[in-house]
Amino acid sequence: MNSALEFNGVVKQFGRNRALDGLNLIVPKGSIFGMVGSNGAGKTTAMAIAAGLLNPNSGIIDLLGGGPFQAEHHSGRVTLLPQDSHFPPYARVEELLLYYGRLQGMGGSKLEHSVDALLDWVHLSNRRKSAIKTLSHGMTRRLAIAQAFLGQPDLVLLDEPLNGLDPIEAARVRTLICERRGQQAIVVSSHHLADLEAICDTVAFIEKGKLVRQDSLASIIQSWCRITYLLTHQGPSLTTLTELIPGIEWKYSGAGTELTALFSKTCSPEALNAKVIPLLLESDSGILEIKRGSDLETEYLRLYREADSEESRPAGLNQPPPLP
Amino acid sequence: MIVPLKIIWHVARHELVDSIRSRRVIIIGLLYLAGSIAATAIFISVLQKLESQLMATLGLATSSNTGSVTATLWKSDSFRQMMTTLIGDRDLAKSLLNIPPLALFYGWLAFAFTPVLVMLTSTSRISEEIWSGSARFILFRISRLHWGFGKFVGQAAQLALALLLSAIGAWVTGLCRMHSFEPLATALAMLLFAGKAWLYSLAYLGLALGISQLCSGPNLALALGFLALIAIAILNGISSAFAGEGWRRLWDLVNSLTPSAHRMDLWWGDTAHLIPAIVFLLTLCLVYLLAGYSRFHKRDL
Repeated sequence: MNSALEFNGVVKQFGRNRALDGLNLIVPKGSIFGMVGSNGAGKTTAMAIAAGLLNPNSGIIDLLGGGPFQAEHHSGRVTLLPQDSHFPPYARVEELLLYYGRLQGMGGSKLEHSVDALLDWVHLSNRRKSAIKTLSHGMTRRLAIAQAFLGQPDLVLLDEPLNGLDPIEAARVRTLICERRGQQAIVVSSHHLADLEAICDTVAFIEKGKLVRQDSLASIIQSWCRITYLLTHQGPSLTTLTELIPGIEWKYSGAGTELTALFSKTCSPEALNAKVIPLLLESDSGILEIKRGSDLETEYLRLYREADSEESRPAGLNQPPPLP
Repeated sequence: MIVPLKIIWHVARHELVDSIRSRRVIIIGLLYLAGSIAATAIFISVLQKLESQLMATLGLATSSNTGSVTATLWKSDSFRQMMTTLIGDRDLAKSLLNIPPLALFYGWLAFAFTPVLVMLTSTSRISEEIWSGSARFILFRISRLHWGFGKFVGQAAQLALALLLSAIGAWVTGLCRMHSFEPLATALAMLLFAGKAWLYSLAYLGLALGISQLCSGPNLALALGFLALIAIAILNGISSAFAGEGWRRLWDLVNSLTPSAHRMDLWWGDTAHLIPAIVFLLTLCLVYLLAGYSRFHKRDL
């Protein structure tokens, strides 16, 4: 059993709206798993179903090898940071975490230490006795993140965890999530693709309740087979490059100032750079930046465009609408 | 078995603390306490006026010793005979006349107004957490059944606290304003009535939390709670008016499914009346709670 969470053909209907339309998903154990999709794609619904807050209409769900969510089996092993949910306004910060911990079966000094550590972790130690209603939005968000890491859950579901955090806190939360890599499976949904790119090792693109693609981040952004050189002026011609460095697919874009090399696994990026950089320097192209692979946003937009164009072109005649 | 009880205990403790911290519950609780004190004070004033009038009619000197005439009257054989005739049941009359008048008044007050207090404070407790989303931080940690029962226990504790405080308020008012006052006998009788009113109100609490589990918003839950109170009062009135022999017994049967049908039995002091009433009320409480849970356990949150 190598997966922390599996969805197999999961369907969820809200009235006429089909939020999940046969979603398939496999979250590997110990991975940081990113869920990417447009608004209403089904990310939040998928997380709520995994945590037992929503009931699917059909499909198979396997949570940590124990079937669908059951409080008796999964309490303390699965946690969730729900989106758009509010804590009880009159509760106190520390008291609330202690309460949640006790419900998970924790207790004694272990729970107290765990709560202390979490409050330190999210910089709320000085507000431990404060009522929730006196906290700022960012502080409440940090508390919500802290409660999701209470105990040592095997699966943590984080729905838009970085929303409402200032840049410093967001960077810190990213680092903290990365530190947990390998210890527990963490599923993160976010519209900030750069954040996901910084923390995830596996990514799933979800659109209209279906899985469009799931792969390792390295595969998605082609970090092993793609290098882009950002130049001030266009460099040697594609013919010259192909002649001098064979076996590589070359492409100029962005008014000729962006040179992309696509190569197979037999060629290493460092060997390629050793050949290309002298050529570019000789041709006085002015190297501004060398970027390995694509980025998540580009790949997501490409996939979105493909999926959208397939859907809006039933007879193969209509052009897909341009992306905004 | 130990684990669920522990969980229910944690939820109940948190529920009690969280509930009595809310401004709404504090205000309603204070109003309830003030109402209890004010009603007792009014009762004592009315008693004082009646006694003064009675003494004036009899041509006796007016006494400032409020309650002394009533206490004497309460113990007189002729008054007891009259009460037995009025109540129509010698045993019930005997049992009621053994209770100090102020405690009897408190009993009436508690039976009449605690259901309203329950509807005001408890109907929104679950629906509010569903509406605000705070339930989503809890229901992946424990089952919905344990959460619901924990909330019920917490609210039942809050209700006991409210009844106890109102009894203390009424007792202190009596102590200060009634000169002919039996402190111990009145306190014990009031505590007994507070306990009975608590058991009676548990059925309403079950109803309130049953409704709360059905609703997604606190306002709807509150409105439905009051509609249910009104429906019970109407049903009770219709049943009293139309009950009889033959098919009219159906009214009795329908009425027996509401808590108010069992209130009269709680006035009795003997177990033959009390135990069936308590069993009925607790069963009703459980039925209402589980009826709400039957929808709550499979609803989307």
